[in-house]
Amino acid sequence: MTRWIGLVAAAIAALLIGVAVGPADLTLGAVGDALLGRGNDATVAIVRDLRLPRALLAFVVGGSLAVTGAALQALVRNPLADPYLLGLSGGAGLGAVAAIVFKVGGMWAVPLAALGGALLAIALVYRLALVSGAVLDARVLLLSGVVVGAFAASLMGAIMAISPAPEVRNALLWLLGGFDAASWSALGVFSVYAAVPLVVIYRQNRPLDLLSLGEEPAAFLGADVERLKRVLYVAASLLTAAAVSVSGIIGFVGLVVPHAIRLLWGHLHRSLLPAAFLLGGVLLVVADAIARTAFAPLSLPVGVVTALIGVPVFVLLVRRWAK
Amino acid sequence: MGEVIFEARNATYRYPSGPDTPAVAAVSLSIESGELVAIVGPNGSGKTTLLRLMLGTVEPTGGEVLAFGRRATEWKRRDLAQRIGVVSQREEAAFPLRVRQAVLFGRYPHLGPLEAPGANDVAAVDRALERCDVAHLSDRWIATLSGGEWQRVRVARALAQEPQALALDEATASLDIRHEMELFELTAQLVKENKLAGVLVTHHVNLAARFADRLVVMYRGAARAIGSPADVLTGDVLEEVFQWPVAMTEWDGVPQFVALRRLGGEEGEGDND
Amino acid sequence: MLLRNLTIPAVMATVLLACESREQQGEGSLVDDTGHHVSLARPPTRIVSLAPGHTELLFAIGAGDRVVGRTRWCDYPPAVDAIPSVGDGLNPNVESILARNPDLVVFYASPSNEPAIARLEQLGIATVSMLTDDLADFIRAADLLGTLTSEKDRSDSLIGWLQHEVSTFEATRSTETLPTVLMVAWDNPPIVIGSTSFLSQIVELAGARNAFADVDRPSLTVSIETIVERDADLVLIASDSGIPAWAERPEWRVVPAVRDRRFVVVTGTEFSRPSFRAPDAIRRVRTVLQEWQQR
Repeated sequence: MTRWIGLVAAAIAALLIGVAVGPADLTLGAVGDALLGRGNDATVAIVRDLRLPRALLAFVVGGSLAVTGAALQALVRNPLADPYLLGLSGGAGLGAVAAIVFKVGGMWAVPLAALGGALLAIALVYRLALVSGAVLDARVLLLSGVVVGAFAASLMGAIMAISPAPEVRNALLWLLGGFDAASWSALGVFSVYAAVPLVVIYRQNRPLDLLSLGEEPAAFLGADVERLKRVLYVAASLLTAAAVSVSGIIGFVGLVVPHAIRLLWGHLHRSLLPAAFLLGGVLLVVADAIARTAFAPLSLPVGVVTALIGVPVFVLLVRRWAK
Repeated sequence: MGEVIFEARNATYRYPSGPDTPAVAAVSLSIESGELVAIVGPNGSGKTTLLRLMLGTVEPTGGEVLAFGRRATEWKRRDLAQRIGVVSQREEAAFPLRVRQAVLFGRYPHLGPLEAPGANDVAAVDRALERCDVAHLSDRWIATLSGGEWQRVRVARALAQEPQALALDEATASLDIRHEMELFELTAQLVKENKLAGVLVTHHVNLAARFADRLVVMYRGAARAIGSPADVLTGDVLEEVFQWPVAMTEWDGVPQFVALRRLGGEEGEGDND
Repeated sequence: MLLRNLTIPAVMATVLLACESREQQGEGSLVDDTGHHVSLARPPTRIVSLAPGHTELLFAIGAGDRVVGRTRWCDYPPAVDAIPSVGDGLNPNVESILARNPDLVVFYASPSNEPAIARLEQLGIATVSMLTDDLADFIRAADLLGTLTSEKDRSDSLIGWLQHEVSTFEATRSTETLPTVLMVAWDNPPIVIGSTSFLSQIVELAGARNAFADVDRPSLTVSIETIVERDADLVLIASDSGIPAWAERPEWRVVPAVRDRRFVVVTGTEFSRPSFRAPDAIRRVRTVLQEWQQR
């Protein structure tokens, strides 16, 4: 119980950091006032319309990536799985790069194109994985994901090769991930959309435990394994596709957070999933705050910060395993 | 003895891309609650496939297989898991578990997705741990258990499901004599005490004969003989099915066979050509 | 405050001194922007130009008739359409260049061109690499190319004229408070134009202050709240497609100038690279600034 309190406290602290910290030099007092609507217009706008929705969005995206990572690691029975192994990051990147390079109009062009690309990749991987029969074989799924991802990446490379340099740079920067597109409406859309797959995945928390015993023992203990795999794959993919379209490709959260929780909490998904959500949220809010502020006014891509945090954490985890 | 739990009526299974001879050929068999039935036969005789047909994980290509009165494949896995406990030969858990938690998995078929285990679930787990003589191991990590202990834990898990049937698929294949005997004893007792329908797939014909109420001897997909050990275990049947000369003897009123040495060795009674 | 007053003198200094360093090197020893010595036995008659700025420059100094190859991005003057394209200017296709049988290839100075340069030099074809990022670069390039193509009189005269125009602009800047101008190159992540960018130089000479004048780089990735904090008076859009789509997005509308739609739009390639059209560009910016101030 105390662990949960600690984790929730960390979540609240992270959100406070996300709101209080930033390149605009605001005192805590000014931030507090701004939250209540007092103070000069610019400060209030920065705190209430930029930092607050951005912190919340980073939290929800981080949580979603962590939950997706955990679910996929159980699905393919591979601790190295992360949300991007299923090829959809390639599809999303391809969609976004195409929209950027071909200057597709409209303010939602890039996120929608990324989402479309991701969905296409999901469908393609799924279809490929079914080639070996009506069974979603985890190994075929992984291979298909790698193949589709590589194919999309090469198409992306081709597009960038024939594009002017500024567009290429812009596309690459978008891909590295960031929350600059955060707003209350982006937060609202993402949260509503993400709630469904999150709930769906959580409802499978017991079959997810059983899956670790192997597909046959899981079936004999009541898991409808084929349906479970389909549901998990679709939910995880949709969730990741949404995260990528709103904030680019942010690595390490989906890979490392589930393992950290397993070390601290154990493997049962009934607690692993919510705890991973909270820790993933904490990680990404803090990473975003660092990305925005560490070298102000320069803003780093958030994926760089998660990697800088994630790699040493990963090394620690691996060493702990080895014992 | 009791109600019919498993029933196969002319059940046949052919692999979609396999050889012409079916894996299971027109087997008819019924298993009632309170009886332990052992399915024996050489490799490739179809014993495991027959079990899978009864457990609903494989759909028969001919005939039908019923479990609890319905087609085995029509059952939802969750509902079937509330009725049948299965212990297979080998199982590796992907992550570390304590024994108590592993046995608690047996309660999952009875729990809703967001429901926490209740008092009766804990009680079922405790009873199962006690009955299978692994209660003293409840806090141990399963990775630290011996083969025999892990097997008994899995029987406890199956028991925690509070099933009406128990199926063991070559569950003793990797165990030493002591653990094998313990497992057979336990299974036989559980079947009698709880009036379960017990199905055993095993290589160990002699042991099966001593513990099972009936034997099903499989040969090339067909049920060569079905009946009590005394009726079924004859030299002719065994030599035909196992393609090896045997001598028959007896222990405890139950026929037992001894495989003869062909080369430079003894000649026993009843060695046919 | 001090920074604002320093940027124009800095620009002026580099622009006016751009030619002097070359003169100090002496004739016959031409060094390009990568430190490479350019040697030509005689003036070139078949030039391949690998940057839009260089192509425009060559035409401006009267060497356009000798240009036999250009990049697909070269767009000014209209006469370039008749010249065959050799593809991209960065990391170019050496075969396409060779197909034009050049005796001089003009590169944009970038490390990604080194393989192509090495290849051409091996084949005995002269290369010269120049930057075209700001006015000082441009003047240096004009001087060097004028010398190489034996159009020194023309290039000297144009350079003199340009320097004079720039001085005039600087002298006639308004002494009142200058409006601050925000220039955004990209929206996600937000990339703003810094002081060393050509566009920033134009804007400063036209009589405004770059909201990010303290950034000593052509561009910088920042977060939107930094942009809000700068509170620019207006947003300058240098684009053919008008006010960009991101201006409608909710997070950008937190920027006061975007929310209040204080945009000024200028179009044309004279804004995307330094050229002899720069005074026109500056004049146009000055005009829109005055229009805006009178609203």
